Amino acid sequence: MTAGAWLCLFSPLAGALAITLAGTRISRTAAAWISTLSVFVAFGGAVWSFFGLRSHGSEHGSLTTAWTWLESGGLKIGLTLLVDPLSTMMMLIVSGVGGLIVLYSVGYMHDDPEERRYFAYMSLFVFSMLLLVEGGNLLLLLVGWGLVGLSSYLLIGFWHERPTAVAAAKKAFVMNALGDATMALAFFVLIAHTNSLSFGTNFHVHMSSTATNLVALGLLGGAAAKSAQIPLHTWLPDAMEGPTPVSALIHAATMVTAGVYLIARTHPLFEQARTVELVAAGMGALTLLVAGLVALVQVDIKRVIAYSTMSQIGYMFLGAGVGAYANGMFHLMTHAFFKALLFMAAGVAIHALSGEQDIRKMRGIGQSLPWTKWAFLIGSLALVGIPPFSGFFSKDSIIAAALHAHWYGVILGIVGLVGAFLTGLYTFRLYFIVFGPGEARAEHDGEGPWTMLLPVGVLSLLAIVGGWIQFAPFWTPVTHWLEPAARTLVVAEPTNTQEAIASILAVALGLAGIAVAYLMYAKRSVSVPTRPKLQRALEHKLYFDEAYDALFFRPAAGLARLLRDEWETPIFIGETTKIGDDALWVARGVRRIQTGLLRTYVLFLGTGMAVLAIVLLVVK
Amino acid sequence: MTVGDFTSLLIWLPIGAAIVIWILPLSRYATGSLAVLVSLAEVGIWIEQAARFDFSHGGLQFSQKATWINDLHVSYHVGEFPFSLWFVGLTVICMAACTAYGFWVGRDRPRAYFGLMLFLTGAIVGVFVAQDLLLFYAFFEAMLIPLYILVGVWGGPGRLGATVKFVIYTMAGSLLMLAALIAYGVHVGTFDMLSGPVSSNRWIFLGFMLAFAIKSPLFPFHGWLPDAYRQAPPEVSAVLSGVVAKAGLYGMLRIAIPFFPDPASYYRTAVMALGALALVYGSLLAFRASDMRGVVAYSSFAQSGLIAIGLFSGTTLGFDGAVLQIVAHGFVSTALFLIAGTVERRTTTDQFALLGGMARGRPALATLLLTTGVISLAVPGSAAFAGEFLILAGAYHRAWWWAAIGAGAIVLAAMYMLRVISAVLHEARGSTVADEALDLRPGELALIVPLVATLLVLSAWPAGITHHTGTAIVQTSANVTP
Repeated sequence: MTAGAWLCLFSPLAGALAITLAGTRISRTAAAWISTLSVFVAFGGAVWSFFGLRSHGSEHGSLTTAWTWLESGGLKIGLTLLVDPLSTMMMLIVSGVGGLIVLYSVGYMHDDPEERRYFAYMSLFVFSMLLLVEGGNLLLLLVGWGLVGLSSYLLIGFWHERPTAVAAAKKAFVMNALGDATMALAFFVLIAHTNSLSFGTNFHVHMSSTATNLVALGLLGGAAAKSAQIPLHTWLPDAMEGPTPVSALIHAATMVTAGVYLIARTHPLFEQARTVELVAAGMGALTLLVAGLVALVQVDIKRVIAYSTMSQIGYMFLGAGVGAYANGMFHLMTHAFFKALLFMAAGVAIHALSGEQDIRKMRGIGQSLPWTKWAFLIGSLALVGIPPFSGFFSKDSIIAAALHAHWYGVILGIVGLVGAFLTGLYTFRLYFIVFGPGEARAEHDGEGPWTMLLPVGVLSLLAIVGGWIQFAPFWTPVTHWLEPAARTLVVAEPTNTQEAIASILAVALGLAGIAVAYLMYAKRSVSVPTRPKLQRALEHKLYFDEAYDALFFRPAAGLARLLRDEWETPIFIGETTKIGDDALWVARGVRRIQTGLLRTYVLFLGTGMAVLAIVLLVVK
Repeated sequence: MTVGDFTSLLIWLPIGAAIVIWILPLSRYATGSLAVLVSLAEVGIWIEQAARFDFSHGGLQFSQKATWINDLHVSYHVGEFPFSLWFVGLTVICMAACTAYGFWVGRDRPRAYFGLMLFLTGAIVGVFVAQDLLLFYAFFEAMLIPLYILVGVWGGPGRLGATVKFVIYTMAGSLLMLAALIAYGVHVGTFDMLSGPVSSNRWIFLGFMLAFAIKSPLFPFHGWLPDAYRQAPPEVSAVLSGVVAKAGLYGMLRIAIPFFPDPASYYRTAVMALGALALVYGSLLAFRASDMRGVVAYSSFAQSGLIAIGLFSGTTLGFDGAVLQIVAHGFVSTALFLIAGTVERRTTTDQFALLGGMARGRPALATLLLTTGVISLAVPGSAAFAGEFLILAGAYHRAWWWAAIGAGAIVLAAMYMLRVISAVLHEARGSTVADEALDLRPGELALIVPLVATLLVLSAWPAGITHHTGTAIVQTSANVTP
């Protein structure tokens, strides 16, 4: 069982190292297949761990330590893996969906001259993500957390000749570094109080409620940055500069959902800081609403899907925040299926149009790509949550859980329902525009090589049936499986009536959204309402970028420039240069006494002795 | 008994070789080869020492002692504590890489140059193993003389000004230190660093601290740094920031804190504040610097501040983190300066405005700069991250804001290092980057790859250092809290 976990972790790392060290000695295709193989081997390890855990009984999971990674004073942190229901579920998703996406990349990136670098980065990412989910203590989780940020930086900026890609990559890294920093601060508080970073610490025994709240806030900062929740979300839309499979893997299926995993993993702490946990839920609700609105006006196909991802992660935060961790994790899983599918289907269309991403110019591409059209439709229906597609099962139970949780839960639930309408609207706006009738045609025959079509097919299937493994309240194996690791709070266990209300309303609103989209964008019998001011605000993503630029970046850069020009250059460099000049001037003066004449030296000698004699006489 | 028992050998082998080089009229090739071989032999001896070092014992090991000036109780006394072992390891490995770099680029006047590099190696090792204050001072001075010449003769166009400034700053510090250590030695009756008692004299403490604050440097004693790091030959800049600056931090760790526990805790907040200023100020200036060496220079300044915070936090976490960070940053900045040197050789410049797009077609350069750069910005999982994490966790024990300032500076570090990476490697090709500019050659890889590999090993197992720092001896006298 633990051997499977180690295999799962290190196989992708070995793949990345092999590709890096081999360099140009192996062909580009070979590099692609080494990477694919390494991730599928990881999937094998994950399956091994899963069945191992099942046969051992999934009560507590087990820890396994390779060596002590960091030790100082009483603090001892091992390179420790934790195999428990939560981590195995994440391992399966990361390596499974990851494997499919890497396979898809084999076809997608085939013509890129720097394929080797791409696949080394992809393997590095999968390793980092697995370290994040398997890490058996908080510090190791942070290590994985930082390394996924690094691989995300590398992959967003993969086409590094493009200034926009480089800027987007840097932005993503710096925002995530901010989240890493708040998490590190939270850990300092923990170390000061408990001298440990283990998951199993009894937080309520050792810590005051203020300290617990601070720790939870720090963790939430990291979670919000990684999962692109407002106000730390602005990097995600820009991250779409990366190749499309990267968006599917990192910015849809796995990394961006890490915040939800973090909350589920550290739920004992968040339950001690219930207010902060509810802030997380509120943050999720706000994000799902705002992102849904912004998605309505975007014209870049990948950006629309990116905003949709933000919005869906908002649902997961909402679920985990009210205490329905299993529902959040379940939605994380189905979302990984259908969102990866949407990105990859979009990738097929983009590929067929040689890189065109503007939906107004993609209009009509469905005629050349009939299978892709179907796949995209399946993904869209799953996203909107229409039964029997997977999103229906996972999203509605989050709304239901919220409805049960006190008055604030009702508000959050209503926001979730509004979000369901928006989801239907923006998703099918996209679908009807891109796959409706139009002039765009694929520039080559066929929809792509089998390496691209097979993953799209498998994910289409999973986007349909992936949700069937749980249908609350009748059939709840996922919740049951996760119970030892993240038991749902009583406050978030809805009644059957609430489940029914949530499902009926959510589906009805989703259908209403689709209907409006149909009338506006397919039939065009209803004109799109124009509100120039609102529209411009949404097109500018509500001015978050501009505000951050004015609030943080420019003051810091200005201060730095001020320090350099007013302080460092004139005082520390200028004045000290003057000291040097003065010293040289003095030296030039002193040089003149070196006359080489004996009489001068005797004179100095005599004078010196006389002065000494006088001094001695006076002092005595 | 093996060669590793004689710590003195690590000092006198390179100095002896330097004298041989200065005396014998060897050819350019023979001189360089001899120098590189001797510096590799140093690494070999050190590895042998590290393998046999008894970390559980913790005290001074491989020591030699002989009477030097009997009347003043001055002795020739050398030996290694566990933390000295890491300082020495950093020195011999980085010096080997830098000496080999000098050979690779073919510095003119080779006999003078390689003699000085070897002499420098011996002197720096001497600083880290001396267990007598006067001997420490002698090596501290001996280390500076070759540096003056190396910067002043082989440096860039502004080398004279840079050297004069460097001389004035360091001489001022050295003289203060000399006065302080004579005052201490005469007062307590011995110069031996093992038997010397603690003192509570604040003036003597300040004399030492000022010298170390200039060497490391801390704010506002860094005036010598930007010019020296920019004008020196790249491998000498590497030595300056990677190894020599660490002598100042070593002085705090070995002398200022353990011998003066009361003054150290009296001035704790002041020193930590100077460290924090260096950290923030250096990071901001690194962000505005327009050249690669400028960024690395100011980031080294910032790192010195961070390490001083760890040392003066007075906690085990801070101490252990500082030792790890000294080693990690030593390797990082050595590697970065050498990489800057390889870039300059290809493009004649390190100005960001004239560079760019070097990643395409140069995978080795790109991979090494990227790896070193992200370790330098302390990406979680790197040795630098482990060091900074422990330092700030220790500083948090003092007060939360030290940790908050440090965490903020880490975000700034991400901003300036990513700027270096993208300005050199990414976006459009710079005007000085010719198509035919080559990727790193095998000779260059042979110098830089071992440095980066060492960093990766340290990243996989930072506990290898943090659990084996042996700073307990420093702490018992310094009365620290856990």
